[in-house]
Amino acid sequence: MKRLSVWRERLMDFCFPAESDTWLAVLRIGLGLQVMLYAMSLRDDWNYLLAGTGHGLISRNLGEAILSLESHLVPRLGWLVTLGTHAGLREETVLGVTWICLLVSGCGLLMGLASRFSAILAWLFHLCAAKSGGFVSYGVDNFMTIGLFYLMLSPLPDQYSLDWRLGKSRARDPQLLGFWRRLLQLHLCVIYFFSGLMKCLGTGWWDGSNIWRALIRPPFNIIDPEILIRWKYLFPVAGIFTCLLEIGYPFFIWNNRTRKIWLISICAMHVGIGLTMGMYLFAFIMIILNVAAFGPGLIRPEHAK
Amino acid sequence: MSKRRVYLAGLALQLFLIITVSSRDTFWLLSTSRTVFPERSKNFWQRAEQIASTPLGQGLPRSNPARQILTGYLHLSGIEAGYGFFAPNIPNSYKLVFELRFPDGRVEYRLPRVSNAASVLRIAGLLDMIGRTRSEAFRQTIVKMLADAVWREHADATMIRATFGSVVLPSAPEFERGKRESYEFLYAYDFSVSDKATEQSTP
Repeated sequence: MKRLSVWRERLMDFCFPAESDTWLAVLRIGLGLQVMLYAMSLRDDWNYLLAGTGHGLISRNLGEAILSLESHLVPRLGWLVTLGTHAGLREETVLGVTWICLLVSGCGLLMGLASRFSAILAWLFHLCAAKSGGFVSYGVDNFMTIGLFYLMLSPLPDQYSLDWRLGKSRARDPQLLGFWRRLLQLHLCVIYFFSGLMKCLGTGWWDGSNIWRALIRPPFNIIDPEILIRWKYLFPVAGIFTCLLEIGYPFFIWNNRTRKIWLISICAMHVGIGLTMGMYLFAFIMIILNVAAFGPGLIRPEHAK
Repeated sequence: MSKRRVYLAGLALQLFLIITVSSRDTFWLLSTSRTVFPERSKNFWQRAEQIASTPLGQGLPRSNPARQILTGYLHLSGIEAGYGFFAPNIPNSYKLVFELRFPDGRVEYRLPRVSNAASVLRIAGLLDMIGRTRSEAFRQTIVKMLADAVWREHADATMIRATFGSVVLPSAPEFERGKRESYEFLYAYDFSVSDKATEQSTP
């Protein structure tokens, strides 16, 4: 019985560590920037990719119909368009307003102005776009949803936000801050473990052939293969390094002695992916999530106020 | 203390869902891809995928409220899919080329058009989906929509032939021997003026 209560206490200590809100500030500012970059990257194609039948690249209505087969409860742009239609607004206008709202919510997050409201708006509008444009979504959309979902539920605002400076809010429960950080940390551990496991089970990561294929596969082939081939001896090293880095993440990121090297390595890997494959948004969101989860307190121990 | 228990239960549920979805997708990849496991193990992984799908409500009818709510939550929190990026192996990519024929006999070639590199990544994902799907009807529907988008910009074209193929990548040793990426034909669809989608205007 005594042992059980010791375990329970340890579990509580693990799940509710007292934390400062620095990690939350990193997450908020990073996601604010990410949302703004996401919106800007889609500025010219927003209506083209997300329009309904007869106006865009592919019909948003088809994507939403397939989404409805999975669940009717997932927010989508079609809801906003219908709402706008009742108010006499055209589809293009509603899509344009949605894009502006997404950009403004990103700015709000970046500055920490109406932090919670901005986080909810950013999550909602990004989710609508990602789900309605499901045919043209990829990994970055998933990770943005994950980040914004946790941010929206976390105890905002943080001490670096404008909300705080304007005196709208005061100190939060440090253990609740620790809880949400812990959840993000555990989620990242699962992500890297499964990603690393799948790579380890593939046949092309150990000999580096998958690194070569990843770098010459259109549209990621931004480096000339004639240049890449000169570095062919590094491909197996890079392949094995990627596998070990990812599968080892949940084991080495917790230890104080290995955390720094693992975090730096994983961020370096994402910088490499961004620069060599042109996946800048994907690289940025992964770095934000990692730095928010494991960065604060890495160089200088933090103490909850 | 009771409030903390609620948080703890939420954390346990969230982690359970993340791990179950990740396991399901891992088993699916193992059952469909070439891995270090022998071919005969694929049935085992299929069975494992089915088992992992059960707690996610995948065995229930689509209209079942519990399944709707659970699937809805997975989407809302961004955990509806696993994390097998570029794994276990990297497949070939796909290419879609439109051949436009005009009344004066002119022939032009077009690719799906987007404005910047970020959108090109999204189109690549769409082409992967077209290439991977086993549903011919779905493939044809998406290709027709893409053809319609090209048609809107070239309204005077009388016929569009959409050719969908796989970009076969050379291995590093093959590349050194002079082999370059090649295009392998997979499907072709012809759309004439009578197939052209009717422009619909929204109020």
